Amino acid sequence: MPVDGSGQVPVLAADRPDYRRLIERARVHSSVYTDPQIFADELARIWYRTWVFVGHASEVAQPGDYIRTTIGLQDVIMARGTDGRVHLLLNRCAHRGNLVCEAQRGNAKSFRCPYHGWTYRNTGELIGFPFNQGYGGKGTIEAELSLARVPRVAEYQGFVFGSLAPDGPDLAEHLGEAARELDRLARLSPEGRVELTAGWLRHRTRANWKLLAENETDGYHPQFVHGSIFSVTGSPIGALYSDKSAAVTRSLGRGHSENDLRPEFRKAGEPMRWFGTTADRVPAYAAAMRAAHGPAAERILIEGAPHVMIFPNLFVAEIQVFVIQPLSAGECVQHSTAVQLAGAPELNRRMVSQSVGSVGPAGMLLADDTEMYERNQRGVAMLAPEWLDLRRGLARERIDERGLRIGGATDETGMRGFWQHYLSLMEGA
Amino acid sequence: MSASAQETHDPPAAGREQALRQVEQFIYREARLADEHDYDAWEALWTDDALYWVPAGGDLTVPAERMSVIYDNRSRISTRLAQLRTGRRHAQDPPSQLRRVISNIEITGEDHGDIIAAANFIAAESRERGVELWAGRVIYRLRPAGNELRMAGKQVLLVNRDQPLPTLAFLI
Amino acid sequence: MTTPADGPENSGSGGTVASEFASVAAAVDATANGPRLRLEDLRTGKVRFLDALELETIVWLPDGHLTQLLDPSADRWREGPG
Ligand code: FES
Ligand SMILES: [Fe+2]
Repeated sequence: MPVDGSGQVPVLAADRPDYRRLIERARVHSSVYTDPQIFADELARIWYRTWVFVGHASEVAQPGDYIRTTIGLQDVIMARGTDGRVHLLLNRCAHRGNLVCEAQRGNAKSFRCPYHGWTYRNTGELIGFPFNQGYGGKGTIEAELSLARVPRVAEYQGFVFGSLAPDGPDLAEHLGEAARELDRLARLSPEGRVELTAGWLRHRTRANWKLLAENETDGYHPQFVHGSIFSVTGSPIGALYSDKSAAVTRSLGRGHSENDLRPEFRKAGEPMRWFGTTADRVPAYAAAMRAAHGPAAERILIEGAPHVMIFPNLFVAEIQVFVIQPLSAGECVQHSTAVQLAGAPELNRRMVSQSVGSVGPAGMLLADDTEMYERNQRGVAMLAPEWLDLRRGLARERIDERGLRIGGATDETGMRGFWQHYLSLMEGA
Repeated sequence: MSASAQETHDPPAAGREQALRQVEQFIYREARLADEHDYDAWEALWTDDALYWVPAGGDLTVPAERMSVIYDNRSRISTRLAQLRTGRRHAQDPPSQLRRVISNIEITGEDHGDIIAAANFIAAESRERGVELWAGRVIYRLRPAGNELRMAGKQVLLVNRDQPLPTLAFLI
Repeated sequence: MTTPADGPENSGSGGTVASEFASVAAAVDATANGPRLRLEDLRTGKVRFLDALELETIVWLPDGHLTQLLDPSADRWREGPG
């Protein structure tokens, strides 16, 4: 049933919108980008339930290392315990709720709240508090109080995810087919390890987080939004996203999607073309890869890195990693960093340099995407036509040999997969 | 006034005063060219070994290994300006309306014949999304070339560089 | 010529170990009959010297034992005369 022309969101008895009426197969209603109630609902049903990327294991390499990160609106401490494991704690003192950690990163095996001095292990346990006679002495209430732990923490290829739901699908099930893309990234390291150690840029964006998530594998926009930089650098990237391109857009299930550029790179058959260079210009890297992978190295170096959006907030764009942090219906923060590959010093500096040029607030690519996100956010606040169209490539979609839905390089197959999963989470029990 | 007039007769002080004036005039001009999107004239200020750096966060060590907001060598500066000149750099189409105030200008040192100068700035940037206020410290590396100065380095330390920043697509 | 005594571990130079929770200057002190570690709580100015045997003892403290010392009420912020 279509939404009536009043611009009102249909509301269920339980005071929740009927998402089936807002999200159809080939269009979505504007209110999902603008309605604060829907944003609150997303926090509860998506951000505080599903697996959310919080950081990379390499960001807390040593025991006692910690960083501040987020899950939805929650301020989260990611810490490496002396047990070697990564722990996720909500940054909220069990006494009166003060933030316990203020620094963005540091090394401390215990945290002391600055307000009244309550002291915690970096695994969450309360060690004690000053002047404990006021609580009847030692060992009276410590056991019942602690920093709240994110109930589920899991890693894949060093990418750390947290889920605020005590149960549900495990991380392997959540990642599904997208796991292979992280494998593909790790395989580009001669040591098989990705590191995210170059620091993050944070870009404040006045747009709904879903506009970003959808755009990440939108192969329709690059020639238009990025035409200026492609033209001045003579970049071949634009051609990868055209109707003539052999690249495909693939819905990976569970809201994940990718632009699979491998068909184009295989056609060219040139190692390192995905990185805009040739193997002889990065000889030490090429040699290390050949030593690590033998004859398989050629194919790995030709096919390059993935371009995959992992629902709801992690995007790997070849040599960059992006994280989407929602703030409200109309605002979010984009975090971006360069991929660093263990055992590939020759590549790592170049990846930082290329990333600094491309991403972040001044990035020659991302500032233009962000301009579109912000104009898009203003556009979707207009009353009519109430819908965003998602039908591009619907008629030419097919199922590939892995049983996954694929469309052309410029098709909206990835977005449709995103919305299908979104709907299942918002409508599910 | 007579005391300071006397001071200007002191040759080293006069030399310092003159150097500071020249640096100030250079900095004001650089600011005006950036405010007015005069990309050609702004580009001509740079030396070939230019470094235009806007760090992010607090870590200023090994910039080549860390993410920066901008870390442009001379060729990257050219690319950035070429993109702006296409008129299709959406984040600067239309260009931001800009005015910056530069103050607290000091010559803070000398390095291999380059003058190191520092100043504070506040810039107002107006776009459809609203007015953005930018502030920070700028450290210039200026190279005497004949009677003129050229810019070999410009480092912009935003006061809020450890916080999420909005789009920064103009020449800061 | 460099002798072992010129190494940083014996030179009396040190550094600051700081986090958002505490800030302590550490230096090997050579003013006594033998070397010792001088620790200064930079937030209060309180100083403590640790000799080699005390340091070795800390190295061998079980984690849990060390953690108990971090209880604010254990020593520093303790009520009453005790
Ligand atoms: S709120 Fe943390 S100790 Fe009181
Ligand atoms: Fe883009």
